[in-house]
Amino acid sequence: MRHVVTRPDVPAPIGVPVPRRDGVAKVTGAAAFTVDLSVPGMAHAKILRSPYAHARIRRVDLDAARAHPGVIAVVSAAELDDVHLVYGHAVADHPLIAVDKVRFAGEPVVGVVAEDAVTAEEALRLIDIEWEPLPFVRDTAEALGDDAPVLHERPGEQRPHRGFEEDIRRTHANVCSSSRQAWGDIAAAFSDAHLVVEGEYHYPMCYAYAMEPYTALAQWSDDGLTVWTSGQHPYMVRDDLAHCFDLPLAKVRVVVPYVGGGYGSKSYTKIEPLTAALALRAGRPVRLALSVEEAILTTRGDAATVRLRTAFDREGHILGRHATIHLDTGAYAENSPLVGRKAANRLGGPYRILALDVTCDVVYTNTAPASSFRGFGAPQVTLAGESQLDEAAAKLGIDPLALRRRNVLDPGERPWPKARGIDADLAGDLALAAEELGWDAPLPPGRGRGICLSASDAGSEPITTAIVRVLADGSIVASCGSTEIGQGSSTVLAQIAAAEMGVELDRVHLIQSDTAAVSYDRSTGASRTTTLMGLAIQAAARDLREQLVEWATTALAPDGPAVEERRSGVQVGDTLHDWGEVVRAWFGGAAGEAVGRGYLRRSGATAEMPPFWEIGCVGVEVSVDEQTGRITIEKLVTVGDIGCAINPQTAEAQDVGAAMMGLGMATLEELVYEDGNLLNGNLFDYRVPRTTNLPELRTVLVERGDGVGVYGAKGGGEGALNPVAAAIANAVERAAGIRLREAPFTPERVWRAIQERDAGVAR
Amino acid sequence: MIPRFRLARPATLDEAFAAFEAANGDAAYVAGGTELLQVMKMGFAQFDTLVDLKGIPELHGIEGDGGGLRIGATTTHREIERSPAVADAFPALVGLVRSVANTRVRSTGTLGGNLAFAEPHSDPATLLLASDAVLELAGPAGRRETTVSEFVVGPLSTTREPDEVLVRVRIPAAKPGEGRAYAKLAFFERPAASVAVRVTVDGGVVRSATVAVGSLTEVPELVPDAAAALVGADAGDGALNEAIAGGIATLGSLDAVEDLNGSADYKRHLAGVLFASTARAAIAEAVGHD
Amino acid sequence: MTDVLQAPGLDRVAIELVVNGVPRRLVVEPRETLAEVLRDRLDLRGAKVSCDAQVCGACTVLVDALPVSGCTFLAVDADGRRVGTVEGLATDGELSPLQQAFIDQAAFQCGFCTPGMLMAATALLEEQPHPSRDDVVHGLEGNICRCTGYEPIIAAVLQAAGGDMPSSRREEVPAVTSAEAGGDPLDPGTEPVESQQ
Ligand SMILES: Cc1cc2nc3c(=O)[nH]c(=O)nc-3n(C[C@H](O)[C@H](O)[C@H](O)COP(=O)(O)OP(=O)(O)OC[C@H]3O[C@@H](n4cnc5c(N)ncnc54)[C@H](O)[C@@H]3O)c2cc1C
Ligand code: FES
Ligand code: FES
Repeated sequence: MRHVVTRPDVPAPIGVPVPRRDGVAKVTGAAAFTVDLSVPGMAHAKILRSPYAHARIRRVDLDAARAHPGVIAVVSAAELDDVHLVYGHAVADHPLIAVDKVRFAGEPVVGVVAEDAVTAEEALRLIDIEWEPLPFVRDTAEALGDDAPVLHERPGEQRPHRGFEEDIRRTHANVCSSSRQAWGDIAAAFSDAHLVVEGEYHYPMCYAYAMEPYTALAQWSDDGLTVWTSGQHPYMVRDDLAHCFDLPLAKVRVVVPYVGGGYGSKSYTKIEPLTAALALRAGRPVRLALSVEEAILTTRGDAATVRLRTAFDREGHILGRHATIHLDTGAYAENSPLVGRKAANRLGGPYRILALDVTCDVVYTNTAPASSFRGFGAPQVTLAGESQLDEAAAKLGIDPLALRRRNVLDPGERPWPKARGIDADLAGDLALAAEELGWDAPLPPGRGRGICLSASDAGSEPITTAIVRVLADGSIVASCGSTEIGQGSSTVLAQIAAAEMGVELDRVHLIQSDTAAVSYDRSTGASRTTTLMGLAIQAAARDLREQLVEWATTALAPDGPAVEERRSGVQVGDTLHDWGEVVRAWFGGAAGEAVGRGYLRRSGATAEMPPFWEIGCVGVEVSVDEQTGRITIEKLVTVGDIGCAINPQTAEAQDVGAAMMGLGMATLEELVYEDGNLLNGNLFDYRVPRTTNLPELRTVLVERGDGVGVYGAKGGGEGALNPVAAAIANAVERAAGIRLREAPFTPERVWRAIQERDAGVAR
Repeated sequence: MIPRFRLARPATLDEAFAAFEAANGDAAYVAGGTELLQVMKMGFAQFDTLVDLKGIPELHGIEGDGGGLRIGATTTHREIERSPAVADAFPALVGLVRSVANTRVRSTGTLGGNLAFAEPHSDPATLLLASDAVLELAGPAGRRETTVSEFVVGPLSTTREPDEVLVRVRIPAAKPGEGRAYAKLAFFERPAASVAVRVTVDGGVVRSATVAVGSLTEVPELVPDAAAALVGADAGDGALNEAIAGGIATLGSLDAVEDLNGSADYKRHLAGVLFASTARAAIAEAVGHD
Repeated sequence: MTDVLQAPGLDRVAIELVVNGVPRRLVVEPRETLAEVLRDRLDLRGAKVSCDAQVCGACTVLVDALPVSGCTFLAVDADGRRVGTVEGLATDGELSPLQQAFIDQAAFQCGFCTPGMLMAATALLEEQPHPSRDDVVHGLEGNICRCTGYEPIIAAVLQAAGGDMPSSRREEVPAVTSAEAGGDPLDPGTEPVESQQ
């Protein structure tokens, strides 16, 4: 790893690659994930799913299943008339179990609870349902047709957590939401253009494959509802549970143990309401552990069709961009309205664009629902945007890197009028990528290089709280609603608490993700945790220190010398007192503790939106096997522009993981539907990257202290994924003279493009 | 989840037949279970009884057979991969099993299970077809021998009676001047296309050839026209290129099946690419033995 | 024997395993996978089930030192054999060099693949104590990690190989005596029992 640091010095243990605090638990098998939990009296649930893409449920016969020995409860929507079945944080359109009809093959229709999972599965086979198949829509083009079958006869209610202010506009009965981003005189931009590049780009329907499939365990008691879940967002889940079961928020406890991968796919609510409903009817704690096949049918990423035109002047300056984006959200809105908003925002890229007009429609189809997925609209639109820069460069005879340099935003420059200025040195990042990739070095035939950029308005909303406490012995407990999903938050947030309180890291204990034990955080996603939760912990620590200085004045120096604040305590006269001593002195005994509060909202440093820009800067060198069409990524360069790496090891790890995931989506991954049925909804047929796909890696971490977060930090973890597909497409163009516009770039697609090239078909 | 079943663990073939019979036909043999248990998990098959063949000594092990090989049906991929006898007699088979699945499946999955399952993308079936392998079967009604082309009749479909057991595979010794090669292209777990070529070379000229393709057709198939294109070619010079080009042309008429790996066209094209490399490799090996 | 086999097959089977060096005797249903038995009966929850299709390797455990997919390998097929799981890698609370290398290299993020990855790597190093990078890449091809992008995992295995990896962590096989068993293992009517430790 190359490490470029120009930020001011930081206190220990910030910037230190301390070993991950979850390490021993994870290498000994002791780390408990939701799939590993059990509670006394627990029963097991299995779900009967729709075989049809779109069908009315005529009759449900559950008697035989109920009579099966070992079965505790068999539950369809009819058994849940006391539950608000429909939930959704952006658009409430998703019944926790099918009501009257199903909208995709795989939708839950009946839940069976039994003493053990095999018995529950046996009982599923005894359920008899009479279906009335309905015409269905396969893709967004079909969904937007004039006589297209309609998925949702009545639009779902709009809900406050859609993450943006505007009303959801529906321009067609199958449009779930529509977002627009526009500025400048777009007509003039195109009429003045020297060159217009135009094309349609497809980003595939992908599956995040978090290796732990969705799992939830629900338990009812007189105190309300407790749910243990593999979800990323305990508080969002809590809100939906409170709504479904008419409970005060205070009576819903959501606990998230270690999470076996998320990548956005475990954002928001999944199977928790269904599990809680089954537990309610069973009168027992219920565990619902999905298989990977079921997980694929629960949430996937939004496929995208992007029609883009970009206008350039003679020197390659971008004059304007006009785009329509169709995102395929499948049967339900989930978080796609927000993905659509972000896709519209992110299409322009980190460039100075005089005029822009982007419309993004989120479209319902009869397929598994799509929601957040690492990158969040950015990979989809970056493929289009960054491809066109190279297409233009080729036509204008300009080096693609030079073309980017010419257009890239300067630090502080605003991508659009009301946005926060760019908090990064993008030209500097490009130069680093070029250097590591060896941009100007000669290439053997059949090889090509590409370097691409992206910038995402990331961080979501600053609605975050944290509590930091000093115990009587001076050890520290920090508690926060951020989840450890593998990104290393349990290490990084503890580092921040230790640095802020001036104590050794091993004196800090961190409590995460139990809504009964910690305080509110909106979400663990949008690369926000280090930045926003870091700020909240810093604020809590500072609040705590302020109190402790005051306490020291009262208790240690009532009328004596002035109390001076030191890094790890206070100095009174010649004596240094650590925080524990201050606590004990103030309470006048051997016990007590002090509590600091950190609140973060849209004000002060986090008033402007987005809270920060997440930068993606990736370079690749590829080779193309012209015989088979197989692309090999020979070399991959990531530049992680993250302001301050609280922990350089975990920061670098995020970039490598993200880039490899991007490589998967660019070259291998795609969920394939045929006639409403998923053909490859399992890991045997859905291929994700393996060790053998790993290219030679060069990673760079750049710390310029230019982020809004603690010590100048800003988010990472998604950035390195976003430009990968575009970088590969551009490199392939230079290697083989073919332009790929449909990801994944499978061997056959590449081979066909080569055939077309050789046949001299005009491109 | 794997549905419930009963288990019989016979120690002899007769016990196996008896156990099968005791379940009134609602039974299946199982070896490594890597295919069978998977399809049962997915709800595609269910049996009252599984009859485990792994405890029957006769079905297991590898023996040299005068330059040929006798491989017991319950021999695992891993055992084949590490067998000195196989390395000696049939290096192409070692390379093949090394690329089957992953280390875990190779530790438990068996050659017999692979052949009996008749998955259209089977690696061994294609090479064994080109190698004139003989399959030995035993059932309550007696013993018989068959060939891969007679045995595999469709995707997941063979001429094996439900109560018949595949006992072993006999692979004939390479003739003087014979070379055998196998290659595949795989984008997912199983190959997209595979080709096996067997040739004999005498005096620098290809005298005989057998070509089999797999994974692109419903069952592994011999392609006599492609083989004929090689026969008579001079193993050493440009004539070989022409012969190979001729062979590739004959693959264009294969009845390829479109699947997630690609269209029929593309898979035929891949077969051509593989044919070129395997033909060269087989001829090179043959020349070495010439 | 033939008499027995003309009766229906067994729906309960008594098995004896030596798990991480400890003899265990229990009665299982034939359908139970090794992962189910380890996780649900023996409370060894390190091995994870993810793809449930023998593809991802999260469930990798060792049977007589060979890696198998715990998600599909039947517990009855481990009868009389040695089973190694991630819980057995550390000795007396001391991490194995491979485990330590995983921590040093941050060869995990979410950690869900880690137990399987560690067992696959253990098997690999057992056979090839000094693997090349290529050997590691190919040896671990059947183990998926969605978080790390593999680079740190490969580095960790190479680190462990370079260090003093114990030549063998194979346990001695203690005999299972009937004194340790709970109930008569050969009586198919016996309810599932676990041996007293
Ligand atoms: C993840 C994965 C990847 C794979 N990749 C490849 C690949 O790349 N190439 C390839 O060729 N294969 C591949 N396979 C298939 C693999 O080779 C087979 O699963 C394995 O060899 C089957 O052997 P088994 O003993 O486990 O069969 P089982 O599952 O035990 O049996 C399979 C079938 O054969 C029957 N059967 C088994 N043995 C006998 C016998 N002796 N007599 C009669 N009937 C019998 C059973 O009743 C059953 O119907 C893959 C499998 C998996 C799970
Ligand atoms: S869970 Fe067994 S291999 Fe994936
Ligand atoms: S660490 Fe998460 S899958 Fe490997």
